[in-house]
Amino acid sequence: MASGRDVRDMLGLPMGAGAGEQHTKAAKKAKTGGGVKRMQGVAREVAALYGERPPPVAVYEEEKTYRAKRQNTGPAKKWVQQPFLNQARSDGLVLKHWRRKHTPAPPVQDGEDTAMEDTDNTGPYIENCADFVKYNISVDLPTFSDEEYDAHLRSDEWSREETDYLFEVVRDYSYRWAVVWDRYDFQPANNMQSSQEGEDSIALASLPFAPPKQRSVEDLKARFYDISAKLMKLRIPEMQMDADQYSTYEILSKFDPVLERNRKTLATALMNRSMDEVKEEEFLLTELQRINMAANRLDAEREELRARLDAPQPNTQIAAGLQSFTSSQALGALFSQLFQQDRSKKRASGAGGSNPARLSLNTNDLAQTPSSNVPGSISAANRRQSMALPQSAAAQTPVRTLTPQQEVRFNVSTHDRLTSGVTFGSDKLLKMRQAKSNVQTQKIAAALQELQVPDLIQIPTSRVGEAFEALIGKVGRLLDVRKVREKEEGEIRVLEAMKEAKGGNSNNDDNDNAEQKRSASAAAPDTASATPAATGTTKREIPDSNAGSPIASGTTSRDPETNGGDGDEDGDGDDEDAEGDEESRQPSETVSSSRVGTTPAAQGHKRSASVLSQGSLGSATKRARK
Amino acid sequence: MNIPNSSTAPATGEYAGDEVSAIVLDPGYWTTRAGFAGEDVPKSVCPSFYGQLDSDSGSQHLFGENAIHNPLGNLQIKNPWGSDGIVQDWDTATKLWEYAITSRLTGAKPSDPTKNGLNDGTNTNGDAMDVDMDAVENQEKPLEDSPLLVTEPGWNSAKAREKYIEIAMEDWGAPAFYLQKTGVLAAFASGKASGIVIDVGASHTSITPVLDGMVLRKGVQKSPLAGNFVSNQIRLIFKQSQPEIPLTPHYMVKSKTPVDAGAAAQATYKTFATPPTDSFRRHEEERVLTEFKESVIEVWGGNGRLSNGANEDIAKQMPGRPFEMPDGWNQVFGVERFRPAEALFDANAALTDADNPKPKDDLTIPRLVQQAVQQVDADQRPLLLSNIVVTGGSTLLYKFNDRLNYEINNIYPSTRNKLVAPGSVVERKYAAWIGGSILASLGSFHQLWISKKEYEEHGPSIVEKRCR
Repeated sequence: MASGRDVRDMLGLPMGAGAGEQHTKAAKKAKTGGGVKRMQGVAREVAALYGERPPPVAVYEEEKTYRAKRQNTGPAKKWVQQPFLNQARSDGLVLKHWRRKHTPAPPVQDGEDTAMEDTDNTGPYIENCADFVKYNISVDLPTFSDEEYDAHLRSDEWSREETDYLFEVVRDYSYRWAVVWDRYDFQPANNMQSSQEGEDSIALASLPFAPPKQRSVEDLKARFYDISAKLMKLRIPEMQMDADQYSTYEILSKFDPVLERNRKTLATALMNRSMDEVKEEEFLLTELQRINMAANRLDAEREELRARLDAPQPNTQIAAGLQSFTSSQALGALFSQLFQQDRSKKRASGAGGSNPARLSLNTNDLAQTPSSNVPGSISAANRRQSMALPQSAAAQTPVRTLTPQQEVRFNVSTHDRLTSGVTFGSDKLLKMRQAKSNVQTQKIAAALQELQVPDLIQIPTSRVGEAFEALIGKVGRLLDVRKVREKEEGEIRVLEAMKEAKGGNSNNDDNDNAEQKRSASAAAPDTASATPAATGTTKREIPDSNAGSPIASGTTSRDPETNGGDGDEDGDGDDEDAEGDEESRQPSETVSSSRVGTTPAAQGHKRSASVLSQGSLGSATKRARK
Repeated sequence: MNIPNSSTAPATGEYAGDEVSAIVLDPGYWTTRAGFAGEDVPKSVCPSFYGQLDSDSGSQHLFGENAIHNPLGNLQIKNPWGSDGIVQDWDTATKLWEYAITSRLTGAKPSDPTKNGLNDGTNTNGDAMDVDMDAVENQEKPLEDSPLLVTEPGWNSAKAREKYIEIAMEDWGAPAFYLQKTGVLAAFASGKASGIVIDVGASHTSITPVLDGMVLRKGVQKSPLAGNFVSNQIRLIFKQSQPEIPLTPHYMVKSKTPVDAGAAAQATYKTFATPPTDSFRRHEEERVLTEFKESVIEVWGGNGRLSNGANEDIAKQMPGRPFEMPDGWNQVFGVERFRPAEALFDANAALTDADNPKPKDDLTIPRLVQQAVQQVDADQRPLLLSNIVVTGGSTLLYKFNDRLNYEINNIYPSTRNKLVAPGSVVERKYAAWIGGSILASLGSFHQLWISKKEYEEHGPSIVEKRCR
């Protein structure tokens, strides 16, 4: 602004006037800018009715488009009958067509206007019209000299004159053989007379051909093609022909008039069939079509059947995703599957098995699916289905092989067989807590509580699940062992009572001891060596166990305080005993860990396991947080 | 501003048109058509019949519709065409065609002052007149401005063809000339370059196989079973019916009163001091018969021939058509109306008497088509049969095409036979002229004209060489 003022000052312009002008300009601008935009195509009154806000839909009237006003470009253009020469003509025929009046500066004088003498027209200018010269095309014909004819092209059937005539006719009718044949009318004598040769030579030349032969199209073609081929070979040796040329040459040289004639006879016969024949053929054709269609249909049906037998339909796979349940058939299959699952779940929970009820298809379920209608194929289909699953999963996502570390990191797991549907890890854990009987369930819960395992494990990853499953297994075994021990203790108590009743008879005692030992050894023969010590320990232990809660005993807290290694030994033996009874698969090492560790090592082991699970828990949470 | 729509003519560039105001002359037995190339209808359609007035001073020729229907005393009605479908009376034909051209197209030139009678008195110096003679003759030629395209029948003789070009060049002074066959042009009019053209005219029926715009000469067939033949059949029907049906042309009737069907006519007739000649009466009768053909005659278009099985009975059941003669006699025609045209397809159905013998079976249209196709190369037959162009005034007979279609499909059941018959009457009647109009207005046709210079160099025989 200051600079502007300076300039104005320098130029000696009035300061106020300039400023005022600017103001008014700005005001104007504001007015035009801020003012309501005038709607187009709407009357001002109507626009006023709209108020502040015009309707969202613009109402535009099509602007009237009048036909463009005729340009008045001066007086009407004059048209003249313009004489012109056609370039395609050699005789200089001058014709006239209507053209806009041409005003050439110097009229080109063309001498050849003999064809049109009248001069009342525009004048001597003659247009050179070349618009249609492009249509003036002539055909290419092979040419030959006399020497070539004598050397190669002679024929017993054809005289030189007739050959020339043939070429002329072919040129005249541009290879239209039907027309050529139609117009072919060779009269040797006539030809000769017109060519004005001596009478003798005529007689001589035409002697063998005195009656003009009736030539068929095939004869004409054969002669012409024969000459063309020979000339072609003369001009270009066979070896130097390119592919096109050679194919042309082959076609030319392989023309067989007899074959062609036979073909035409057949074509004529085909055309001249009677109505009955045509009808019969039509009937046969429709019949054939019908048969073909039936065969096609049969083939398609077979194909479909085969496809059903061979490959599982993606619809029947639950994991295939929602889009597979598009047809009513698929939905029906799904319903029946769910129904089966529901039933099996009920059965599982009712039976109270230690194994958690999985949402999986058993063979019964699979038998219900439409894909396995045929009983023989159930197992095969079953296997294939389970095999096809990872494949289809791989097909859905790009395959990427992971290292074991990565698999662990990304929590990727592979399964031989996936359970049906979606299950929650927590559900799985919950199910593990439940046993067949309520008492057992309560016992498990107590044992877990004792181990300070929370009721709800927060992040039940698959690994947590595995650890938990192992833990539950151990708990189950522990409970079994306890049951056995209680039984044993009960027996001991009974025996002691009997002993007391008898008095301090050591013999008896010994007997009893031996009896007990026998019963124990019956259960586990390995413990026989430990029995003398065990008797003592058991004696001491019994009241302890009696005093303690009968359900939860033998834990880390209690065992060391009650007795030393003896009880432990006994327990160990019992444990092994039970182990041997139940199932021999568990190695003793795991037994010791499950038999809640009395030794520091075992305790450490157990602790490390829990730490491990906690660590995995932690890592899981970390992962989850991530 | 011309906004192009379906009815506006295409620009010349669109169809390679380049009009040189050529005149197309299509002489026929019944009418002679003439007009400028590029137009869609011939401007001048005049009868090919002419009147000849014989007087002591020589015979006078009268041309045009008005002249030949005027009942003058000794007016003879003649036709320059011969019975073989080739022009016979060349002198009169020349005059007739010249009349057809000049009366409507180029206009009559002012007659030569030496001959128009005004200067007779002053004609004292014969030598001076002779000097001017050449210039005068040049001026008299009617077609100096326009190239001329003339149509000819497919069977035209070489001599007749040379005569055409002589007339055009010598008598009319045309700058360029071309001769084309009617069959080719009729095919062009239907947009076909190949096909079989069935042309049923007045005097002749012709079948012309055309391949790529060229007539296959061996296949050209003609027969006299055409419009005039049907007229004769009608005459026979009239004659043979009981009672005989009177055929009274218009010019004889002064007034008439309505009568019942079949009752004798009650009309007053004109009297003439010198009664018109027989040829005049016959020609006038033909006009009545033409009307009869147009309004009553029907070709049996049902299944099979009229004589087959119960067809005749079926025909009897069909409603008749009434016709009233110029003198008031009227009748409803029943099954008879199927008979006259039946002989075009079935020679055995022809009505005969002493003067009208039974036509040969070979001359019926189906036989002609068969023979024509037989003369064509076997490879081309299906192509031709799928383009059967029907043209000529007599094909306008009711149901003609149905019958023709049936007959051809009967002969060739295994090929795809398609009739191409223009729907409009004008296009059917003047197909050859329209084709000529198309051809002569093409820019690419300019190089085909036989120019006057070429004619002078080679003589009339050039027409054989150039117009094939």
